[in-house]
Amino acid sequence: MSWWVASLQPAVIGAVLVWAAGVKLLSRHAPAAAARSALPRLVGSGRALPVYRGVAVVELVLGAALLLPPALRVEAVAAVAVTAGFLAYLGYARLTVPEASCGCMSARRAPVGVRSFARAAALLLASTAAVVDPAAWLEALAAQPVNAIAVIAAELAMVAALSPECDAYWLLPLRRLRVRLTHPLAGASDEVPLAATVQQLHRSGVYRQIARLLSSDVREHWDEGEWRIVCYAARFRGEDVTAVFAVPRLRDAPGAVRAALVDESTNKTMQAGWLAPRPAHAT
Amino acid sequence: MDISMDRRRLLGAAVLGGTGAFVGATALGSLAPEAAFASGTSEVAPGAPDPDFAEGRVTGIEGTLLIVAGSDGTRWRIRVTNGSSVWKLRPTTFGAVRVGDGLYARGVRLPDGSLAADAVWVNIVNLHVHVASIARNAVHFDHRGKRIVGWVVPGTSAAVYNDTPPIADLSLMKVGSHVQVLGAWIPDTNEIEIATVYAAA
Repeated sequence: MSWWVASLQPAVIGAVLVWAAGVKLLSRHAPAAAARSALPRLVGSGRALPVYRGVAVVELVLGAALLLPPALRVEAVAAVAVTAGFLAYLGYARLTVPEASCGCMSARRAPVGVRSFARAAALLLASTAAVVDPAAWLEALAAQPVNAIAVIAAELAMVAALSPECDAYWLLPLRRLRVRLTHPLAGASDEVPLAATVQQLHRSGVYRQIARLLSSDVREHWDEGEWRIVCYAARFRGEDVTAVFAVPRLRDAPGAVRAALVDESTNKTMQAGWLAPRPAHAT
Repeated sequence: MDISMDRRRLLGAAVLGGTGAFVGATALGSLAPEAAFASGTSEVAPGAPDPDFAEGRVTGIEGTLLIVAGSDGTRWRIRVTNGSSVWKLRPTTFGAVRVGDGLYARGVRLPDGSLAADAVWVNIVNLHVHVASIARNAVHFDHRGKRIVGWVVPGTSAAVYNDTPPIADLSLMKVGSHVQVLGAWIPDTNEIEIATVYAAA
């Protein structure tokens, strides 16, 4: 059984290499992917794209050789060398440019992580198995077509599962489905957030009149019936005062916002809302 | 507590025109701009650090003085006064600040070199992220390949969809979408508490 599985490995490795080469050669985002990888650090930014494309040519030639007859041990040995090289490159990227994307099998942004290492290690393992028994995979496929297709499909699925670049095609849709079925964030209160009150306050005429007096961010707030009271610290004629705003809590009516400046040391108060004329555009 | 309630009653009455014990509507005088903005503003040369702005991690708390180690090595002493606003996920008080918190502060430099804070924002973060997954009361964000857990705080967390007014319902966020999130970092973790999420819906 094991020899039969090993003889299928050239098909899996070949398919993965051709796929990776196609992305690197054909994607219009390839230059960006090369720039995001660790190659600029390794070979210099001017040579990153030629090296990236050069790797793609090697992958394409080797992948095609593995997929097409005859099955030669030297192809499997070359695959071991290439996949070991991938593993070493990932280690280098992880150590020297942790934020770099892999750039391996997609132009999508996907930093080197545990899954990237697992994928490279799995390919190295498959290549090693192919060296041990470099039988023609087409013959193994012809002998047990259903089983062979199942094994190849399972291995390719595993490679895809270990590829962060592929998440958008299967993992995110699955998570969206789970959210649609379970509604994890449903049941929020219908309370009006403070941010909504502050936004309405910012749109009010009285706020525009006295905003430049304010020295602090929101200091405190509380609700009084249909109003939400929001307090800031303010400086007025060299005195520290409290700017108090009353904002409609349950309706959007910035024109109804009222304001007062209160000197809390003396309780002197001025209601800015009806002392200063409201600009015509403040409704 | 009673003092606080009385104070709130007074301030509420002042702005809503109730029967509070405030002296009179015109006691503070005119709100004409030339009177209001009599105090000058400090000028900072282009490119020079703003002397009235501080950032760093709190290394000690002495009374109402925060000892803060700036990321550039500056050692700040920040005075929090009755007039200071303190934000830590929501407007709060000085008592909520802990050693180890990160902060930004704006205020006025005093002659002794300390900064009298007008406003302090504790652990505030502003992140551009992708929604990786959504769980019960938590949203997992992807921030340049790193995972950040955003806790939804009922009654505080809000969402802004398509620039409409903030609402408490965060359930319209979509897995895989890009969002901007303001929140409070939980120090020395990869977790934040969500203040406001800006998303497309």
